[in-house]
Amino acid sequence: MTTAKSHRWPWIGPRNAGLACALVAASACSSRTAVIQEGYRGNGKETNYKEAALEQSLLDNRVPPSLQPAKFGPVPVKEGTFKNVQVLTDISQPEFNRTMLAITQWVAPKTGPRAQCAYCHVKGNFPSDSIYAKVIARRMFQMVRHINHDWQPHVSATGVTCYTCHRGQAQPNGLWWYTDENQYLRAFLDRTDLRVQSHSVGPTDDNRSSIKQANWTYAAMIQMSRGLGVNCNYCHQTRSFQSWEMGGPKRVIAMYGLWMVRDLNMHYESPLKYIFDRNTMPLSPSRLGPLGDGPKLQCITCHNGVYKPLYGVSMAKDYPALWGQSTWDSTSVDLHSRVYRMTAGNGPATPDSTPGYSGEGVKVPATGVVPMPLPAPSGSAPSASSGATPTAGPPASATLPTGSQR
Amino acid sequence: MPEYMNIFTRVQVKTVAPDMGVPLERGDVTERGTLTRHLYLLGKFGDAQLGPIALSRFAVISFLFGFAAIEIIGLNMWASVGWSPVQFIRQLPWLALEPPPPSYGLHIPPMNQGGWWLLAGFCLTTSIAFWWLHLYYRSRSLGMGTHLPWAFLSAIWLYFVCGFLRPLLMGSFGEAVPFGIFAHLNWVSALSIRYGNLFYNPFHMLAIAFLYGSTLLFAMHAGTVLACSKLGAEREIEQIVDRGTGAERAALFWRWTMGFNATMESVHRWAWWFAVLVTLTGGIGILLTGTAVDNWYYWAVKHGVAPQYPPALVVDSSFADSLRGTYQGPPPDSFPFISTKPSSLSPGSATVLPLHPGVGDTSKVSASSNAYTGNTLHPATPATPTPAPTTTQPPPTEPVTPVQVPVTGTRPRTSP
Repeated sequence: MTTAKSHRWPWIGPRNAGLACALVAASACSSRTAVIQEGYRGNGKETNYKEAALEQSLLDNRVPPSLQPAKFGPVPVKEGTFKNVQVLTDISQPEFNRTMLAITQWVAPKTGPRAQCAYCHVKGNFPSDSIYAKVIARRMFQMVRHINHDWQPHVSATGVTCYTCHRGQAQPNGLWWYTDENQYLRAFLDRTDLRVQSHSVGPTDDNRSSIKQANWTYAAMIQMSRGLGVNCNYCHQTRSFQSWEMGGPKRVIAMYGLWMVRDLNMHYESPLKYIFDRNTMPLSPSRLGPLGDGPKLQCITCHNGVYKPLYGVSMAKDYPALWGQSTWDSTSVDLHSRVYRMTAGNGPATPDSTPGYSGEGVKVPATGVVPMPLPAPSGSAPSASSGATPTAGPPASATLPTGSQR
Repeated sequence: MPEYMNIFTRVQVKTVAPDMGVPLERGDVTERGTLTRHLYLLGKFGDAQLGPIALSRFAVISFLFGFAAIEIIGLNMWASVGWSPVQFIRQLPWLALEPPPPSYGLHIPPMNQGGWWLLAGFCLTTSIAFWWLHLYYRSRSLGMGTHLPWAFLSAIWLYFVCGFLRPLLMGSFGEAVPFGIFAHLNWVSALSIRYGNLFYNPFHMLAIAFLYGSTLLFAMHAGTVLACSKLGAEREIEQIVDRGTGAERAALFWRWTMGFNATMESVHRWAWWFAVLVTLTGGIGILLTGTAVDNWYYWAVKHGVAPQYPPALVVDSSFADSLRGTYQGPPPDSFPFISTKPSSLSPGSATVLPLHPGVGDTSKVSASSNAYTGNTLHPATPATPTPAPTTTQPPPTEPVTPVQVPVTGTRPRTSP
C-alpha cells in the first residue's frame, strides 16, 4: 500500500481487491427477488420472494398425482359388505378402496411390517379397531370432511386432503404441546383474545392489555407468519396492525383460518389424548405433552411455509370421500355462528351470494373476499419454472357485502 | 501512507514515568489511583497508558451493586435452563429475567414471579446512580465542566422512564423492560405494537431525528478533523485558540459546501445537545405512551400527521365489531379445557352421532371468557341439510348452503 495509486485510492488497493470482487460477485450471483405489490402504492404492502427459494419451495410442494378414478359402483359402502365403516359410508366401495390406497400414499407410504395397510389395519381382520392409528385415522377423516364442508371460508373449494398436512409422514409438521413456555400458542387452542391495540387515542379501561400480552400476540402472529412463509404485511398494513381496512382481504381469510385452527384443535386434535393416553397406548407415550395433552396443529401444519398449501392446487377435488357428511359430535356450532355471522347479518344467503366456482377452481366465498389467483396451473403439479411465480395478489380493494349492496 | 488514512495509531509515545495527570487544586488525592500499565495494543487504538483509575467510594458502591445486579440476572437466566452451562451459553441471547406478571400491579411479587427482577432493577439503578455521582465528582475534582455526567443523566432518564417511572404511572411493574438481549428487543417491538405504532409518537420522531443527527454530526466532525489532521487539525484545543491552516481549511470547506460552518468549539456543543436530546425526548415519548396516548396511530390521524390511503378492504360496519375481536385478557391460569371424548374415538363404538348439544366439563374452564368455554351449543341449530351424495360424486361443485344461525347478540368486546 505504498504505491502512488493506492495512496490516491487507498480502498481499492490489492488488499481490498478480494473483498471488492466478492462484493461484485455476490451482487451478481445472488438470487433475484420478486416483489409483488399487494396494496396501494407507497405504503409498503408488498410480498417479496427470493426466486431461488421459491423454486425450491415449488419443488418441495409438488402434488402427487391423483389415483385413477374408481370404477362406478352403485352400492354405497353402508349397504355393502364392508364392516365397521363409520365415516366413509356414503361413497361406493371402489371409491372407498381408492381412498384407502390414497391415504396409504399420503400418510404411511413406507414399507415394513407396520406400514402401509398394516399401519392402521390388522392383517386379515381389516374391520378391527385394535390398532390405535385406525381410530385416529377415522377421526381425521371426520376432521377433513368438517374442514372441507364447514370451513370453506378458509380452505375455499380447494379443500384439504390427508396429504395437505401429512406429506407422506405419519406425523405432520408443526405439532405442538402445551408448556409454560409456549402459552402464546393457546391462541391456536382456546383463546380468542388476541387484540391488544386500542381503537381510541387516549387510554380507556376497556383495553388493559399489557406489553407482555402484546408480546404473546406478537409471538402468535410470528408463528402464523412463519407457517405461511410471508411477512406481516401480507395481511397487515404495518403502520396500524389492527386496521382491517388497511390490512386487506387476505387477513379475513387468515382470521377464518385462526378460527378453524381453534376449532380443529379443540374438537379434533386435543381429544386425541384419549387415544394417546398412557394407559391405553403405553407404546406411544411421547405423543403426549408434558402436561398430558395431545398433539395440536397450527398454521404451518397445513401450509408448510407456503401462503397456500401446495400452492393452491386442489387434491381434494379428485377424492369424493373427503366431502359429504361433515357434522360429527363435538362440532362447534358456536364457531359456525361466527363464521357465517356475516351472511346472517346481511340477510339470508341467496344463490348469488353463496359460494360458487369462478374460473379455475377459485371460489369466491360468501364473504365476498377475493382470494388470490392460483399461482400455478391447476394441473397435477406446479411447475418449477419462473412462470409459476405467484402473480399479483387480489385487487387492491375488495369489498365485503354491505347492506346497501343487497 | 499518510497518518490519517490508517485506522491504527502508528506512532506511540511512551513516557519514562507514567503520566499521573495535572496537580489538582481541590486535593482529593486519596481517591486517586496509582496503578498504571503501558499496553502496546491499547496504544494502537488510543493512549497506551492504562490507569490510573480513580476508585472513589461512589465507584466502589457502584461496582458492588452492579455486580449484584448482574449476578441476579445471570443466575436467574442460568436457573431458567436448569443450571446447564452449555445451554446457558447457547441460549444466552434468548434468556431473560422477566418483570412480574401484570396481575401483580405494583405489589411486591414472589421472588420467582418477578421479585428477582425487582431486586435486580433496584441494584442496577443504585449502581447507575452511584456511578453518576462518581462521574460528577471526578469532573469537579479535575476542575472540568460537568457536561459528561449531565449527558449520562439524560441516558439514565430514558432507562428510568422505561424501567420504573412509566410502570409506576401505569400501575404495573409488568410494563417494564425485561433483562435479556432479545427479551428487551422484543419488549421494544411489543411496546410499539401495543400502543399503535410508536413511529407516530412525535417525541419518538424527535428522538430519531436527534439520533440520526448525532451520527451525521459525528461523521461530519470526525471526517473534517481526520481530513485536516495532516495539517494539525486534530489538535483541536490549540486550534480553537490559535487557528492554524487545518482548522481554517476545515471551516472554509464547509462554507464552500454549505455556506456556513461550525467552529472548532461549537460543533461539540451541537453534538452534545443532539446526543443528550435523543434520550431526553425519547424518555418523554415513552412516558406519554399508555399514560396519555394509547394508540399513536390514531393520535397521528387525529392531528393530521398520518396520511390516508384508499382502503384495501371495505368493511361493513355490522361486521366490524365481529372482526375487532376481544382485547387480550389476563392469561388463564388453568390447563386448557379439552372437549369431552368424542364417541368415535372409542374403538368399536357406534356410528357417528348426530350433532348434539354437548356441554363441556365446565369445572375445567379457565377464567377467561372465550367462545369455547361455558357455551352450550345452540339447540335451535338445524343440522346441515346435506343431501345424501350419490356414489362417486365429484366434490360439491354446487355451493353448500352455510348453516344459518341467528345472530345471538354481540360478542363481549372487553377483557374481563
